[in-house]
Amino acid sequence: MSVFPATAAAKAKGRGTTAAGSRPRPRKNQRAAYLFIAPLGIGFAVFYFWPLLQTFAFSFTEFGAFGGHTFIGGDNYARVIKDVTVWQALGNTLIYSAIGLTALPIAIVVASLLNRRGLRGVALYRALYFVPFVTLPVAVGLVWNWLYNGDYGLLNEVLGRLGVDRNHWVSDPSTAVYAIGAVMVWSTTGYYLIIFMAGIKGIPRDYHEAAELDGAGALRRFFTITLPLLSPTLFFASIICMINSLQTFDLIYIMMAEKNPAIGDTQSIVGLFYKWAFIENAQGAAAALAFLLMLLIAALTFLQFRLQKRWVHYG
Amino acid sequence: MAETSGTQAPPAPRRRVDAGSVATHAVLSLGALVMVFPFLWQLLTALKTLAETSRVPPTFLPDRWNWSSFEEVFTALPFREMLTNSAINTVGRTLGQLVFCSLAAYAFARMRFRGRDVLFALFLSVLMVPSSLLVLPQYDIIQRLGLLNSTPALFLPGMFSAFGTFMLRQFFLALPKELEEAARIDGAGSFRIFRSVMLPLIRPALAALAVITAMWSWNDLLWPLVVNTDPREMPISAGLTSLEGQYETNYPVMMAGSLIASLPMLLVYVFLQRHFVQSVALSGSKS
Amino acid sequence: MRRRTLLGGALAAPLLAACSGGGGGSEGGGRTTLSYGMWDPAQAPGMEKIIAAFEKEHPRISVRIELTPWASYWTTLKTSMRGGTAPDVFWMNAVNFQLYASSGVLEPLSGHIKADATPVDRHPEALVRLYAYRGTQYGLPKDFDTVGLWYNKALFDKAGIAYPDASWTWDDVRDAAAELTNPRERVHGFAAEMDRQGKIYPAVCGAGGYILRDGRSGFGDERSIEGLRFLTDMVDRGWSPPQSAMTESVGRVRYWSEKVAMNYDLSAMAGQMYAVPALKDHGGIAVLPKGRRRATIIHGLANVISAKSRKKEAAWEFVHFMAGRRAAGIQAEAGVTISSYEGTQDAWLKSMPEFDLKNFIDMQEYAVPYPSSENTAVWENLQYPLLGAAFSGKGGVESAARTLGEQMDRALKEESGS
Repeated sequence: MSVFPATAAAKAKGRGTTAAGSRPRPRKNQRAAYLFIAPLGIGFAVFYFWPLLQTFAFSFTEFGAFGGHTFIGGDNYARVIKDVTVWQALGNTLIYSAIGLTALPIAIVVASLLNRRGLRGVALYRALYFVPFVTLPVAVGLVWNWLYNGDYGLLNEVLGRLGVDRNHWVSDPSTAVYAIGAVMVWSTTGYYLIIFMAGIKGIPRDYHEAAELDGAGALRRFFTITLPLLSPTLFFASIICMINSLQTFDLIYIMMAEKNPAIGDTQSIVGLFYKWAFIENAQGAAAALAFLLMLLIAALTFLQFRLQKRWVHYG
Repeated sequence: MAETSGTQAPPAPRRRVDAGSVATHAVLSLGALVMVFPFLWQLLTALKTLAETSRVPPTFLPDRWNWSSFEEVFTALPFREMLTNSAINTVGRTLGQLVFCSLAAYAFARMRFRGRDVLFALFLSVLMVPSSLLVLPQYDIIQRLGLLNSTPALFLPGMFSAFGTFMLRQFFLALPKELEEAARIDGAGSFRIFRSVMLPLIRPALAALAVITAMWSWNDLLWPLVVNTDPREMPISAGLTSLEGQYETNYPVMMAGSLIASLPMLLVYVFLQRHFVQSVALSGSKS
Repeated sequence: MRRRTLLGGALAAPLLAACSGGGGGSEGGGRTTLSYGMWDPAQAPGMEKIIAAFEKEHPRISVRIELTPWASYWTTLKTSMRGGTAPDVFWMNAVNFQLYASSGVLEPLSGHIKADATPVDRHPEALVRLYAYRGTQYGLPKDFDTVGLWYNKALFDKAGIAYPDASWTWDDVRDAAAELTNPRERVHGFAAEMDRQGKIYPAVCGAGGYILRDGRSGFGDERSIEGLRFLTDMVDRGWSPPQSAMTESVGRVRYWSEKVAMNYDLSAMAGQMYAVPALKDHGGIAVLPKGRRRATIIHGLANVISAKSRKKEAAWEFVHFMAGRRAAGIQAEAGVTISSYEGTQDAWLKSMPEFDLKNFIDMQEYAVPYPSSENTAVWENLQYPLLGAAFSGKGGVESAARTLGEQMDRALKEESGS
């Protein structure tokens, strides 16, 4: 357990020019550190860790719809593993994650374009890219469903002129998952954009100016200065992006009608969790499913932390 | 909004229109169109009649521009109370996260103490569970605190965030060490170094976290619906869903309501985005 | 005046809690406020009117509506049941009823009904029975819904076909659907949508099949499959849009946009249809055409009392009032739903004189109650994923129905086992 993720970060940091920040400090400093963490720790204990423990216990029981439970051992976990819809949902979820990750490069490129000095109207662009945040999720679902509509949608009109066959994009089992994935990228790009804009602004201007004096072009500066110095932010964003896409649910819920023939081909793990817990009154099995998902996410996060020393540069 | 762009980068030399910036503008404005389109659709829907919103083939522009939905919002919902609840909820969560997360993030990034890595991993685990898993037990806690149907119930759990801690930690990690060292030699204590040296340096990150948290809090739906069933204690996000019927949803009023409700968030963003614009000046903070 | 004393008892507790040491008999502050949970904003104005009438009769009780959107109604209700913040009185439907009744979270009403002589027999018997569990009544119906055949007179005229009437059979529907379908104008004769209450259940029952009987699924039954085939055939022959197209633009919307000539739909839709000028002008309603037998599906909502309510006596007064003639009359005038109280439907019929709404009421005679069990949602959720392909014109309805029957039987077995 001692080589857990953050140690990798500490080690990477330790390799820097001066290791002052992480040099062993006297006890006084240790106490201060605990005080820094205490407020958040207390909040987490009350509102997250305790509920988490409770729910974990519940995952070994069968819930009454209105409280009351009986211990049934590992039956819920067995049910999850045996259920074919779980495996299908897992496959869908992994596809969403792969598609969802493409939001990161798009956001980086846009963020660095928005960072171009002297670009006119840059503040206006920034505001416009923020607009998806304030758009009602229901409106997002409606407009995309209209664009994708097989009979009357704009997409088919445009593609039709290019010679592509009409399709019911969100109700054709072979395309629905990608159609939703595209909307996912659309709706999350603005959010990573904000994180990257903050990250890029954290890079001291002096570095760019020095490189510019050395005659480095914009593209070169992007790869030799922006990207490495942005790597801690990028690392954060990639983990968040992975976690979020593995937990995808809302968008599918909004876009996919219950009667959609492609519903099984688009259902995510959290969607299945929601169905079990809140519609079919199988809270115990739902909790087991959520914990297995958590295990998967933890494993993938751990992997990313292990790999970070290869590409993340800390100050 | 456009004015700020003129003042944001004074050191930049004025260049002539070159191919690069034309291409940049082309890419950015195409992207902007894609980003704004659903919002426009929302506006157009708000201006349609209810009957027109569900028709095949769907119409793009309203048959007749109908503004009555914007008035109807105020009679259909206790709009003012709901906006107040939303504001309190948003401010509560955002302030809470800025304070609690920056403190913890600083300790995780720049201090050494026993159990740090384990604690950090434990904190991160909060991110890994789907939030709806914890809704029931969290509800039980709020109930035991006697806070059901109250404003604090809206923001209490949301003040503590693993996302914010992780994000700020990354930004703290990216800072060079020399500044901290200098301050320490000057004899400053941990909290002073944090407060007056390090915190100002991650201002863009704090602004970004504030914007993201504010948006999440403003739009949060499931939690407020579960914990505050009294309409007068609901935030606007939850209130708007009461326009959803079993068979029919009053989309025009819903869209109009959400447009009005989104204005404060746009203002918050316009105000905060200045902090993205100004680069951190390392030399300035040394003195 | 038994009612008064009952009410007095109910009022005592909150009064004592509110003013400790008060002299008693004081007028002020003696009001009991009931919360009333519902989900349909369209019905809120009518309910407010009923509440006003109730409050006039019971000056010491006031009722406050808690409107929760349909999409989160049941989730929220279940959670608030745990915390004791559930409304005192709330709407219940057939799908959820047995789950709530079997869990003991609803207040039994049989004793009250007997004591206060609530006119239960004036409501359709099938509906009343939907809200009884193991011989005890837990809910009293407030309204009902049947499914009828909606058609577009203008499209019928254009095709030169006589309008549907009570003599129509499934063959007539098929013939008309073929004639009415006009691919050039993207008009379909029929909307054979995958929709349980509006299409699947009525078709299955009309073919002489069944959904649920004695704890067993009817989907594997030959007659039931014949009912399903009535619908999927329409898709296969191109007389109805496939399900893949109808999830994107639903049958109901196609009907009121005059892109579908015939559609099975609920009586509850009348208000919305009436708001569409074209339909008000030339929308028609007929009873469902006969398959092997006459059938439609009847469903209605009921008012129930939370077992955790601390104001049960006042809550009963309200539920009792809601089941009476006066409340039903006010509800009918509001025009949103059909009141279930016999003889109060006139107001509803008159609220939309251009529509032949009477057909919906006449169908009560052979209406089949909406099928339900203790955990209805579980087996209902099996239907759409399994039947989706067959309703999208990909065939295989027989095997899909048999699989559905087997899986539903398994779910039912699990339900009774736990």
